[in-house]
Formats: sequence, C-alpha cells, structure tokens
Amino acid sequence: MAAKPEFERRGISAAPGIVIGPAFVRDAERLHVPRTLVDATAVEGEVARFLQALSDTARELRAFKADIASRMGDDHARIFDAHLMILEDRMLIDETSAVVRNERLNAAAAFEKVIGKVIASIAGIEDEYLKERTIDVQDVRKRIIRNLLGKDTRAAHRPGEPSVLVAHDLSPSDTAQLDRSIVLGYVTDLGGRTSHTAILARSQGLPAVVGLENFVNRVETGDIVIVDGNAGSVIVNPTPTTIEQYENEIARFRDLEEQLLTLTGYPAHTLDGRSFTLSANLDSPDEVDSVIEHGGQGVGLFRTEYFFISQEYLPSEEEQYKVYRQVVERMEGKPVVIRTLDIGGDKIASYLNRSPELNPFMGWRGIRFCLTRKDIFKTQLRAIYRASAHGQVKIMFPMISQIEEVLRAKEICAEVREDLKRERYKLDENVPLGIMVETPSAVALADHYAREVDFFSIGTNDLIQYTMAVDRGNSKIAHLYQHLQPSILRLLRLTVEAARKRKIHVSVCGEMAGDPLSVPILIGLGIDEFSVSPNMIPEIKRIIRSVTFDECRALLRRVARFRTTNEIETEIDAFLKSRAHNGRNGP
Amino acid sequence: MVEFTKQVGNKIGLHLRAAGEFVKIAAQFTSEVRVYHGDRYANGKSILGLASLAAARGANVRIEIEGPDEAAARKALEALFDAKFYEE
Repeated sequence: MAAKPEFERRGISAAPGIVIGPAFVRDAERLHVPRTLVDATAVEGEVARFLQALSDTARELRAFKADIASRMGDDHARIFDAHLMILEDRMLIDETSAVVRNERLNAAAAFEKVIGKVIASIAGIEDEYLKERTIDVQDVRKRIIRNLLGKDTRAAHRPGEPSVLVAHDLSPSDTAQLDRSIVLGYVTDLGGRTSHTAILARSQGLPAVVGLENFVNRVETGDIVIVDGNAGSVIVNPTPTTIEQYENEIARFRDLEEQLLTLTGYPAHTLDGRSFTLSANLDSPDEVDSVIEHGGQGVGLFRTEYFFISQEYLPSEEEQYKVYRQVVERMEGKPVVIRTLDIGGDKIASYLNRSPELNPFMGWRGIRFCLTRKDIFKTQLRAIYRASAHGQVKIMFPMISQIEEVLRAKEICAEVREDLKRERYKLDENVPLGIMVETPSAVALADHYAREVDFFSIGTNDLIQYTMAVDRGNSKIAHLYQHLQPSILRLLRLTVEAARKRKIHVSVCGEMAGDPLSVPILIGLGIDEFSVSPNMIPEIKRIIRSVTFDECRALLRRVARFRTTNEIETEIDAFLKSRAHNGRNGP
Repeated sequence: MVEFTKQVGNKIGLHLRAAGEFVKIAAQFTSEVRVYHGDRYANGKSILGLASLAAARGANVRIEIEGPDEAAARKALEALFDAKFYEE
C-alpha cells in the first residue's frame, strides 16, 4: 500500500507544545443509512432486528456506564441512565415498528425517521441549553444505527491507545466522558484561544490547535499527526524526514525549557537595574502549580470564565469563593488580579439563555453583561471580596468602553463591601480596582480612567482586534493581526503615559507580553508588569535580563518613526540578535 | 382523572435527564400520564416524548393522570417538580 501523502493545515495555536501520535477522530463518519423497501414477508424479521439492535445497544451502554463510573465516578455515569431509558422507550419502539410495518421500510430507515422527528422538535426551539441536549439523543441514535448496520460502536467512541483527539468541536460534556490520561493533544475544527478545548488543553499542559475549519473530514483515525501548538499547525501523515525534524524540535524545546527554568530564582531586571514584575495568566486553579514552578511573581490575570463555561449551571458564591481563596492562598501573599466575568464573545454559556448574537465580540459581554445581570456580578464580587481576606487580591473589570461603566462598577463594589461588613465577613476593604484597557475608546480617555482606578492592564488581543477591525480567526485577514502595528504602538504609548502621570500601575496581559519580539518595546515603554502564560515566564525573563532599559527606550524611539510593521520587526529582530548572548546566567 | 399545571423550575429545563426522572416516577404507576406543553402532547412514560416537548425553564406544563392510582401519581410527580428534578 502506498504511503498517504503528507499535508499541513494551519489553525489557531490554543496551547503550546509539540506532540506526535496517532489521530483519534471523533464522529468522523457521517452515518449513511440505507433506505430500502422490505418484502411483506420480511417485515416481522425487520422489527425483530430492530429490537435486537436495541438490546445490543443496551448491553454496550451498561458496560460503558460501568467503565465510566469506575474511572470517573457515578456522577459522570448518570447521564447513561437516560440513554438506557431511550432504548426502552415505548413510543420509540411502537412508532418504529409501525413505520416498518406500514411503510415496509428497513429498520434503520424507519428508526431514522422516528428519531429524526424527536431531534427536530428538540432542536427547533429557542432555548440554547435544551438544543445542546440533542447531543445525548444523537449519541444514542448513532449507537443504535451502528448496531443495525453491524458496525463496531465502541471503537468509535473513545481511543484505546494514547492519541491526538481530533473533533469538530468539544463541549464540556464531551470532555467529561473522555479518558484524559490517554489524550496527547487536541485538534478541533471550531473554537478560538478561549474555547473550552483551549482552556482544557492549557490546564493539562497539552498542545492544542483549534479553528482548523474542515479538518475532521481530512484525517482518519490511526493517521499519524504532528500537533504543533507553538506554530498553530497540524501535519498529517508526516514523512520520516518531517518526523525527525519535529523530534529535534521537541528535544530543543525541552532543553530550552530546562535551561530557562534555571532562571526561576533570579529577578527580572535589566542589565542597568530596572526591574519588572513577571506574573502569569491563569484560567483555572489547576494551573497555579505551573505559575509557581515557572517563577511567577503573582497572577496578573485570573480569567474567571472557566467555571462559568465548564459546568451547566451558575456557580454559587461559595463555589467561587472556594476557588478564588484556593488560588489566593497558594500564591502566598503575591498579588492575584481577578478579572470579573468576561462572558460573551466566543464564551457563550448556554445556560444563561442568551440568544445568539450576530457579532458577539461587539455585543453584550464583559462589564456590559455584568452591569445588566447585577445578580451574577454581585455574587462574583462577594466571592472575590471574601477571598481578599486570605491574601493580596485585585479586581479588574473587562471590556470598559465608557467611564460610566467604571463609576457604576465601583458603586456596586462599595455596596458589596458594605453588605459583607454588615454580615461580619472578613475582607480587605482596600482591594485595588482596575480596568482592562482593550477598546480604542478606553485608550482615548486613558487620562480620565487613570483618575478613577488603581491600575491598568492592557489586553492587547482585543485591543488589536478592535483597533485593526480584524477577526483573527478569519484566515483571509488574519495577517492584519500583528502586535507590532505602528498604530498599536501609539495606543500603548498613550495608555502608559496616562498611567505614568497618575502614578498608577500598568501591566500588559495580552499575548503581546509573551511575544519575544515585543518585549524590548514593552520594556522601553516602561510598563510595570508582564502577565503571560506560566511557561512563557522564563523566556521573557531571559530577554529582560539581556538588555538595558536605556537601549530599549532608544529602540522604541527609533521604531516609533516607522510606518510599517515590517520595518519595526526587522529593527527589533536585529537588536535582539545582538543581545542574544546576554542574560542566560545568574545575577 | 386529575389534572394540574406545573412550572418547570430547574435551571436547565425539561432536558433528557430531567425527562428520565419524570419517567422513572410515572412508570411506577398504572395510571396513564399525559403531559401537554403548548400545543404539544407527550406520553408521560416516554422519555423521548417528554424531551420532544422542549419545555425550557419557566415553561408551564399541564399534566393529566387517569387511572386507579392517579392521586398517588399526582403527589409523586408534583414532588419531583418541587424538588426541581433533584438538580439544584
């Protein structure tokens, strides 16, 4: 048999790292259900075949349920009770049998007709959550069809050996059913950097590439794939040469990481003594270990969306408090910046009953959502303030686009503090309040905002997206999304100057802070803090330790004259190369 | 025959799992259980039928029970709604 040709697809890098392994493609096959007329004498045989398929499916499901229960606990297995009840559903059995008898259809086609009606009526309604639940019915449907057609069902549901999971999309309920210990990496057609898959992959330290569009149909289970989470690409059926190349890359990556980790104990200051705070962005409490291990001096951005999207109901105050407190305590007095809920954009939580928006990134999200759903906002603020008794907490509001939002959010914080004091909770009454600077309008009025808040954190991802008017997930225009756009540098400068004037702290928590080429510019701008993925901390520290503040300021002045990104990047690249020998060693 | 109306009070509506809880109870009684939501009707002993009602949170469903143990069935099903399908 001839070897399959190698090919590469580019998507969005959702979690760093590189891995090589066999693909496990979930739901790749579109089940083709044949439709035939059966002979009058064969009708009862067809009905019997259907009943047999139901009992085969029930046997499989019971085994599957027991297996899930033993690996992941009874809670995860409970949904299979509902699946099993479908197999005994009188309506399903009676109607399918009736279609076989009356229309003389084969069992599979008759069953498709009946179950199709059920799925259509669930999918036809407005409620997003219920709609999503068709997944359960679909799951049972596929099992029954496979049994009717004599296909192996179990193999298609979960990988038997360590594999790269390839799927169209993964929901929290999908991943709950997964044996995560044998997943090497994730590849999905849909999703962005903040999708469920991306967050899960980062918290597990596994590479992930998402947003590959129509990838699922291009790869088969068992094909060897390389997931390059650093570059955001996936290579299918690599030749031995390509594999060797990537194995070298993996080894290099590991060496570099080990070498950089030796820097953990050293401070992040430039050769001429200007020091910077290096903190970490964090999506879930599972990542705290990694922050500490990589020498993070705090949490510069704790995104709290995780538990709003990873479960199927609103998290309670207690539940949130427990998690915030856990992170704050583990950081042992180092600052933890908790960003209030930034739901919206691509992070729709279906149970919030939100109707889909045409343009979610410009829609009801961040502080806009919180100020209208004050109940949700206050619950979260109560939990954060209560956690403030256990360490150093700061609160940050996302998606600010007009000053009224800040004033209102501060009022609500004051109300929450009063309530908690009345209820005799311990809290830090002076928790610093800050904003994400991520809309061009916030930059334009940065001087006003600097009078109202205690700190700025520049969210470069959204700032670039909104300034350049570019959806980075759209491959036709993704090239416009660049950190070192001259226009972006000007906005950063305005923001930092406004912060300087009022002597408030300013950090950069977007991906730009972790982009080596951007680091000298951010140093030159005089920001106070870099907040990046934990594993980027050592590399950023190495760069900081290899340059002087003065030469970075001079570099910034030079590139500020350029009109194109290309010129800016070339200049910085040359500068960094000339400094590459510095900074690897001790103080 | 007894008849009553209940609001679906659990956060996520009458989805498959909640429908399953309903069927588990309805199936313990010999009475016939009919559930209506808007212009849709379902047999209260069919999980797929109930799920097809597509009753989201806050929806009102009307339940008719007919048979020898209808009073006891009503009591048990009302308790299920009041307990929000054991989800809270």
